[in-house]
Amino acid sequence: MKQVSLKIVNITKIFKDFKNNEIRAVDNISFEIIPGEFVTLLGPSGCGKTTTLRMIAGFEKPTEGKIFINDINVVEIPPWKRDIAMVFQSYGLFPHMSVGENIAYGLKMRKIQKEESQKKVKEILRIVGLEGFEDRPPSSLSGGQQQRIALARALVIEPSVLLFDEPLSNLDALLREQMRIEIKRIQKEVGITAIYVTHDRTEALTLSDKIVLMKDGKIEQIGNPEDVYEKPVNKFVGEFMGKIFFFPIQVLDILEKETLVRLKDRVYKIPSLPTDKADNYVLGCRTEALKISSDGPIEGKIKTIVYLGESSEYYIDTEYGEIMIRVLSPFDKNLSEGKSVKIDLVPEIAKIIPD
Amino acid sequence: MEQRNWKIIKFLVVALIAFLVLFWVRKTIRNEFSRLFRENSLNLAYSVSAIEPELLTERFPEILYYISYFDGIELQNRPILDVVKSLPDYEYGIENVLYEEFYISQKTVKIDEKQYFVIFSPITKDYEVMGIMIQLHAAENVLKLFRTVDIIFLIVFLIFIAVFSISTFSIDPVTAYATIITFAIVLTFILYPLYEAVRMTFMRTGTFTTKVWKTVLTERAYLKSFSNSILLGTLTATLSTVIGFLFAFMVTRTNFKGKKFVSFMVNLPLISPPFSLTLSLILLFGSNGLITKQILNLNWDIYGLDGLIIAQTMGMFPIAYLTMVGVLESIDSTLEEAAMNLGASRWKVFRTVTLPLSAPGLLSSWLLVFTNSIADFANPLMLGGKFNVLSVTAYLEVSGMNRLDRGAALSLLLLLPTMTAFYLQRYITSKKSYVTVSGKPSGRIVEIVSPSLKKTLSIIVYLIVAFLIGLYSTIFMGCFVKNWGIDYTFTLSNIVEALQRGRKALVDTTFLAAVAMPIAGIFSMIIAFLIVRKKFPGKKLLQGLVLLPFSIPGTLLGISYVIAFNKPPIMLVGTAAIIIINFIIRELPVGVEGGVAALKQIDPSIEEAAQNLGAPPQTVFSTIVLPLIRPAFISSMSYTFVRAMTAVSAVVFLISPRWYHVSMQIYNFSENLKFGLASVLSALLIIIVLSVFGILRVVVKRSEYLQKTII
Ligand SMILES: Nc1ncnc2c1ncn2[C@@H]1O[C@H](COP(=O)(O)OP(=O)(O)OP(=O)(O)O)[C@@H](O)[C@H]1O
Ligand SMILES: [Mg+2]
Repeated sequence: MKQVSLKIVNITKIFKDFKNNEIRAVDNISFEIIPGEFVTLLGPSGCGKTTTLRMIAGFEKPTEGKIFINDINVVEIPPWKRDIAMVFQSYGLFPHMSVGENIAYGLKMRKIQKEESQKKVKEILRIVGLEGFEDRPPSSLSGGQQQRIALARALVIEPSVLLFDEPLSNLDALLREQMRIEIKRIQKEVGITAIYVTHDRTEALTLSDKIVLMKDGKIEQIGNPEDVYEKPVNKFVGEFMGKIFFFPIQVLDILEKETLVRLKDRVYKIPSLPTDKADNYVLGCRTEALKISSDGPIEGKIKTIVYLGESSEYYIDTEYGEIMIRVLSPFDKNLSEGKSVKIDLVPEIAKIIPD
Repeated sequence: MEQRNWKIIKFLVVALIAFLVLFWVRKTIRNEFSRLFRENSLNLAYSVSAIEPELLTERFPEILYYISYFDGIELQNRPILDVVKSLPDYEYGIENVLYEEFYISQKTVKIDEKQYFVIFSPITKDYEVMGIMIQLHAAENVLKLFRTVDIIFLIVFLIFIAVFSISTFSIDPVTAYATIITFAIVLTFILYPLYEAVRMTFMRTGTFTTKVWKTVLTERAYLKSFSNSILLGTLTATLSTVIGFLFAFMVTRTNFKGKKFVSFMVNLPLISPPFSLTLSLILLFGSNGLITKQILNLNWDIYGLDGLIIAQTMGMFPIAYLTMVGVLESIDSTLEEAAMNLGASRWKVFRTVTLPLSAPGLLSSWLLVFTNSIADFANPLMLGGKFNVLSVTAYLEVSGMNRLDRGAALSLLLLLPTMTAFYLQRYITSKKSYVTVSGKPSGRIVEIVSPSLKKTLSIIVYLIVAFLIGLYSTIFMGCFVKNWGIDYTFTLSNIVEALQRGRKALVDTTFLAAVAMPIAGIFSMIIAFLIVRKKFPGKKLLQGLVLLPFSIPGTLLGISYVIAFNKPPIMLVGTAAIIIINFIIRELPVGVEGGVAALKQIDPSIEEAAQNLGAPPQTVFSTIVLPLIRPAFISSMSYTFVRAMTAVSAVVFLISPRWYHVSMQIYNFSENLKFGLASVLSALLIIIVLSVFGILRVVVKRSEYLQKTII
């Protein structure tokens, strides 16, 4: 399999709406993908993920910027000459062709001999787990099977880069999980460079080598799943990646490897530095960075307890709003609904974020 | 960016070189022709100068001259000396003459808006120069030729620039070429002829004049035709809308017997040849008609307004019917049921619910029929009698009087009401937010007419259908009757004779229609593809232009084709091409609209997937788009074929002895009272048209399952 690097440099895409107003769908973004990497474009609806992907595929022309594939600028190259394959959200299978003809379509465009083409179709059907489906019409397949045919059709031409636009959004929850594992397995098996668009953070976290998190056409953060989850650079990223609580703090001193901050009357040593310069900072804590502790600085009252078996979720009203803390069994029998409690932080995994 | 700059430089350099080369070629051609014309002029000058001056005006009325004898006598037929004196080589010319040499000036002079060559010629007697003669020969021809050469070179240059800039700058050249060619075709064959027609009405021998329009807008006969057209249109539209609504109402709102048969029969007039209903009306009610003469022995015949209304209404109420069926089906019948449950009487439900909800549909049917009626040519031509309508008057001006300019003006006059009605109709249908569309058409019918009224109404429907059947059977009867009106004995000789005499027309027509069919099909699908899927500047303009033929009366299109394509740079009159092109252009809007509707049903990611897998646009079109919109493609083809087979109004101007049309043959036969022959050809056309539609049904049905799986 070809190992291809991809570089997006200062790409901007401006659409005109029907009133001729400008819409900055993608606003000056840059990122790089190393060969064989699986990158996810993640972000809320309308943030420009699809537009970015379509520019890479060549369906949209960037208003500004360059796209390099193996150091060649492909902006002026039409989609049919780009050697990039895409798996569409609605699959885009050819309804008037059989599964076999669908998969062989790209091979035919590449003028590959019939016998060889048929061998490749068989092989790829084996990889996606649909052996013997050659003669079926696509309309007779289930959603998950159609999805895999679309994937097979993209993979069989051995493209430089594989693009996915929310490929699982039309599937039910269970199938989605299976297909997620399947896609990851196949991508690793063929070792292809892939870009995956989704607005589902679980998909992004489980699939990616690298996450590019976008909002309003701009990139908010780039990093591996752990970084993006554990070290969000701002409140938006923190909230987008999962439950997080923010506490106003005062930064006392920034040392070489740690930062001294004060929350109420308590001073904490946070083992990281603020990511950005700002006037005000908050401390971002995910539920695992919070604990119930008799000498904690934050006071609150237990509102609800949700029993989950091996753990329980405590919903506590505090001056900073409702906070959720997950406690593993065995549980403290003294903690019941209506009781006042104190909450403390785990400074090692808390994060200083510009307000 | 650097790469781009290089491309621009390369482009400019090549364009400049091309321009220079073309310019040089043009110059050479002009010089060569100029030399040739001057030589001719000189030759002429030799013979002119040898003639006695008294005979000059008689022998060469075109030539202007000035003669000055050395003994002081001057002769001239126009004051030209002052103009000639302003020539830079005037002195040189005089000098030549004194040495007994002819001289033609390098420049031309302009007198009364016309250009002339100037020849200085000696008048000699016994080898002695007696005087000087200055001759002016018309140079219009050479100038005309130069203009044509210039136009051709301009076109060549523009084509070159277009092709070269696309191949240099476009990342999708095939689409760009397709777009440009489409634009060129549409501009050349829709806009240019119309422009030429308008121009002709304002120009006479090169100068602007409003004389034609003054005549057309003041002469009583013309104004009468115009008001007749409007009158006929109004009456036919009203009657057709009433009948169409009645039929539609009965079919959608009641359970009367023979519904299927009625809705089949109603489709017949829409596809049958234009002269067929007219012909059978003449056979039955003409001056020698079966009913009027043989049975009732009346003094009345059908020619004139009443006959026209009957013929047009029978032919056009199906248009209103189809529109109204669509409208009534989209009005949820449960609304009427609800009103009835609230205690409203049946008549009140109809008046307060059904009628208001179908009002926009009624208006739109009316306008559609109105447009068709006043653009109609075939019925008035055959049945009009003394009742002249605009389309026929325009035709007679052109073919009878050879007054193309008046014909053009009259048919342009026709455009006014057709266009207004057409675009008004479009506007209404685009805003039909009025109508409550229910998602599920309920199979149940709430009858809002009382049983007795239903009976009366169905009898009317049956009678009209029976009349229609009667008309069609008359044509088939006419085929086997020896001499309609005189001798009704059975014979087969008509068939033999009609096939002999009509063979050429039939073969020509079928050939022309068969050639137009695939071209129209593919072309309209390509345009639909460009419009729905591609981005390019001027898309709105293209859409508007493609739609235009919908509202252009065939008469106008025919006349403007004759005007535009009977002169350089495009000379097509008399060829098969002009007829084929006309067929294609006239049916383009229908095909394109069908294609657009079909394409909009198809998920664009199917085509994107194909591109993504390496298929360039032309391959996407042929392997993905065309198979997926096959029903629209086939409909467009068969529609073009049928309409071409049954065309009259435009093609009547374009036929020639070499390429004839069967409709005109039918018309000629019946004008010469050869009703048997006309009947045979009409019947044959009906059979051909019906079988084409039958085949189409089968073919499209088979691919219908496809369409369902796409969405
Ligand atoms: N062809 C277009 N014309 C005009 N605006 C467009 C076009 N395509 C996208 N946009 C706008 O650009 C912005 C980004 O759209 P895009 O489809 O890239 O979002 P997305 O991140 O993929 O969202 P989703 O998760 O909902 O798919 C949106 O505001 C959208 O309305
Ligand atoms: Mg999207």
